Amino acid sequence: MIYLENVFKKYDDVVAVDNVNLKISEGELVVLQGKSGSGKSSILALIAGLSKPTDGRIVVDGENIAMLPDHFASLYRRENIGFVFQRYNLVPSISVAHNIMMPLIPLNLPQDLLKDKLQKSMKLFNITHKENVMVKKLSGGEQQRVAIARANVNNPKIILADEPTANLDYKLSLEFIEVLKTLKKQKKTIVIATHDPLFFNLDAVDRVICVADGKILPCS
Amino acid sequence: MLLTPEIVTIEILDSIFILFATITFFIAIYVVLYWDRNSFTNKQYHLQMQSYLGATIIKFIFYLKIPLFLFFVYTLDSIANLLPGAMCGAGVVNATVYGTPLLFLKILNIYLFGYWIVLHKEDMQTKTQTYIRLKFFVYIVAYFLLLSEIFLEFKMFGGLDVSQVVDCCGAIFSTTDSSYLAEILGMNTTLLLSLFYGTFIAMSIAFFLKKRYLFSLINLFYLIISLIALIAFFGTYIYELPTHHCPFCMLQKDYHYIGYLLYIMLYLGTFYGLLLGFIDFRKEKEELYRKISFTCNTFYLFLVSYFPLSFYIKNGVWLS
Repeated sequence: MIYLENVFKKYDDVVAVDNVNLKISEGELVVLQGKSGSGKSSILALIAGLSKPTDGRIVVDGENIAMLPDHFASLYRRENIGFVFQRYNLVPSISVAHNIMMPLIPLNLPQDLLKDKLQKSMKLFNITHKENVMVKKLSGGEQQRVAIARANVNNPKIILADEPTANLDYKLSLEFIEVLKTLKKQKKTIVIATHDPLFFNLDAVDRVICVADGKILPCS
Repeated sequence: MLLTPEIVTIEILDSIFILFATITFFIAIYVVLYWDRNSFTNKQYHLQMQSYLGATIIKFIFYLKIPLFLFFVYTLDSIANLLPGAMCGAGVVNATVYGTPLLFLKILNIYLFGYWIVLHKEDMQTKTQTYIRLKFFVYIVAYFLLLSEIFLEFKMFGGLDVSQVVDCCGAIFSTTDSSYLAEILGMNTTLLLSLFYGTFIAMSIAFFLKKRYLFSLINLFYLIISLIALIAFFGTYIYELPTHHCPFCMLQKDYHYIGYLLYIMLYLGTFYGLLLGFIDFRKEKEELYRKISFTCNTFYLFLVSYFPLSFYIKNGVWLS
């Protein structure tokens, strides 16, 4: 369902993604492994439609998303993508519930449906008891659960996570892996960019892809 | 040469427009020649980014040009005091040979710019950007018209001579002349009003029958006949003077700036009406634009009709 064909991404003279060819099937959990600056995050941003390639094609469900006009790229992200950022990108001064509801605002859903989606997402990621607490008062692990609940509240087909355990200790990282398993059971396509070795030998992970200098290389 | 703060403002803005419009002109040529949605090369992605830049610049120019047109009309009126013989914008327009073509070009460009903006909006709402080539082609045409407009504007303002006596509306729009304009303005009142109200009735029928192309075509007639009727007949009731035929004086404070409202209504009504003949809109949007057009045109009709009626009620006679 996700297909990258001869994709390049250059920032001035820096080649962040160098002729990448990649196929990810529906329901697959893929880990992009590589050092900082290897191009993993750029690949995620391209799949998310957050940036456009310099060359090549990014096909999601049969459509080259890189050629979508801005309005449709926004719709694509809204309907298909849940993104978990390394620093979570939450709004610290508002409540957990309001943070999670944020992707639903442009949809203008009826109040009861909005609340229903919110409750389901909070319950799934075990954060219901903090519903009215401001995000800045949460621990790192709780903040991450809020970020994942927000990414999933729209029920997107694809979940992308950029260094999701970079700010977590070992115990919380294991909790995150449990969350991943929950998402996988829901048949989500998941792509994680990480250099955390914890992910490399997990049963839940279908494939580990190694990225270095913007290229996909065989994992050593 | 006359240099007032208003003229300097217009000329500075014109110079900025030339710079940005020329940058976009080259982008437009590139898009028209090389756009290929099925390609996924560096060139195509680059072109897509450039098309966004070009569209942003064009929107910037066009959104400024529309209020600037009103400012231009206001400027003509304000500098009329400086030209001997001129009492309103008509005197300034007539002071040089460039004035009249400039005015027509400005009106044409206002319609064209509006068309471009709607076309762009439609284009961005289709996944495949159906209208991208067309909209940049229209821009290339608009660019030359814009340059011509700016050239004429510089020539007109540069040619104004405060020591030269000019004709004003009383002479220009006189019905006793033997010019084409005088013949049009001196048209039989019954015939003129029959054409004006008749065109409106035809437009109403096309509106209720939802005949898109017919509605658009009638809007073109309505625009022309409305302007003639306004200058030749309704204007005389606005001024309460049977010999005063002027499209500009009604923009002055003495007449409560009523001209601005009339022209804006006529522009909006005929613009949205004409649009229906040029772009294939979705059903709901077509319906919306048809309603906006008809509402504005109806408002215009009632507003201009108010003046002779109220004059008759107050005085018991018609102007002749």
